[in-house]
Amino acid sequence: MMMFNTLLKKLMNRGEDSRQVAKKRLKFALVYDKLEIKEEMLEDLQKDLIDVISRYFEIDRQQMSLDIERSEDSSALIMNTPILAARHKKPREDARA
Amino acid sequence: MDGKVVVITSGKGGVGKTTVTASLGAALALQGKRVAVVDMDIGLRNLDVVMGLENRIIFNVVDVVQGKCKLKQALIKDRRINNLYLIPASQSDEKNVIQPENMKWLCKRLKKEFDFTLLDCPAGIEQGFKNSIEAADDAIVVCMPEISSVRDADRVIGLLYSRSIEPKLVVNRIVPKMVERGDMLSHQDVVDVLSIDLIGLVESDESVVVSTNTGLPIVMQKESKAGRAFNQIAMRMNGHPDLPVEDPMAPKSFWKKLGGRIGRKNRMQS
Repeated sequence: MMMFNTLLKKLMNRGEDSRQVAKKRLKFALVYDKLEIKEEMLEDLQKDLIDVISRYFEIDRQQMSLDIERSEDSSALIMNTPILAARHKKPREDARA
Repeated sequence: MDGKVVVITSGKGGVGKTTVTASLGAALALQGKRVAVVDMDIGLRNLDVVMGLENRIIFNVVDVVQGKCKLKQALIKDRRINNLYLIPASQSDEKNVIQPENMKWLCKRLKKEFDFTLLDCPAGIEQGFKNSIEAADDAIVVCMPEISSVRDADRVIGLLYSRSIEPKLVVNRIVPKMVERGDMLSHQDVVDVLSIDLIGLVESDESVVVSTNTGLPIVMQKESKAGRAFNQIAMRMNGHPDLPVEDPMAPKSFWKKLGGRIGRKNRMQS
C-alpha cells in the first residue's frame, strides 16, 4: 500500500517531492542569508552616495531614502531622492574646490 | 615533523560532531597514528562518555591552559586502543575561560607529540567555536541532509574560509530509503549547495546508539555501516585522499528492484 501511494504521488505531481522542495527552500535561504546587510553599512553607503550625487545635483538630504527590496529571485537596491536643482559648474572643479 | 590539528564542527547542534570526533580518533589510532582528541565544549562535556572514559577524568583542558596541571596529566589514555588520548572539557567553568591564544599554545604542544589532534567543537559560532578554529590546520564540517543543518554548515564554512581553512564535508545520518523515495535531500544535493569537497558519507545506523550506550568505539564493530564509513574517512585523512566515497544509495539492479516489489505485493495480497 505504501509503495502504491508513493508511486501515485510521484506520478501525480512529478518533480515536487519533499526532497526537491527542501532543496529549493534551502537555496533561497542561503541566498537571503548572504544578502543580509548591517544597518551601518547601509548608512555609510547613503552618506557616500549623497556626497557623489551632491557634486552634480542639489538634493534634499532629509527626503532621501535607501532600501533593499527583495523579491523571490532577485534583490535590488532602491534609492529615492528629490532633486532640487542641477549644478552647472563642472563637477570636477566643484570637487576640488 | 609536526602533526595536524583538525577541528570537527557543524554550527548546528545534534548532528553528530562528538560521534564523528570519537570515531575518527579511534579509527586513526587503530591505523597506527598517535591521536589526541580534545573536547572543546566547556561546561557541557560529552566526548568522554561517548568514548567510555568518563570515570577516569582527573584534570581537564581548562586545568591545562591555566597551568594547574601538566599536559601529560590531562591526557587520558584509552586502554583499549593504543595511541589514543582524550583531553576532556571542564564541566564547571564558563565558556570564556579559554581564549584563542590559549588554544594556540596548547595545539602547538600537542602537534609535537601527536600525528592528529582532533578538536570537538561546540555547537554555535561563539567563543567555543572561535577557540576551536584558532589553531586548526584543517576542518571537517559535519552536516545532516536536512535544511537547517545545511544552512548552519554553510555559515560555518564561510567563517572557516575567512580564516583560510578549506573544510571537508561529512554528510551524516543519511537514510537511503528516504532519499530514494524523494523525502530526504541526497548527499549530492547537499554538496551542490555547499560546494566543498566531500570526505565521507555516513548512513543513519542504529548501532551508533548502541555504541554510545556502551562507550565502545563504533569503528571496532566490523559489521556496522557507520563504523565502516568512519574507518574510510580516517583513511582519507591519513594519506589516502583519493579513496572513493561509497554511495550509500547505490541503486539496486533493475531485476533485483523488480523482484523486491513483486515480492512485497505478493506478501500483502496473501
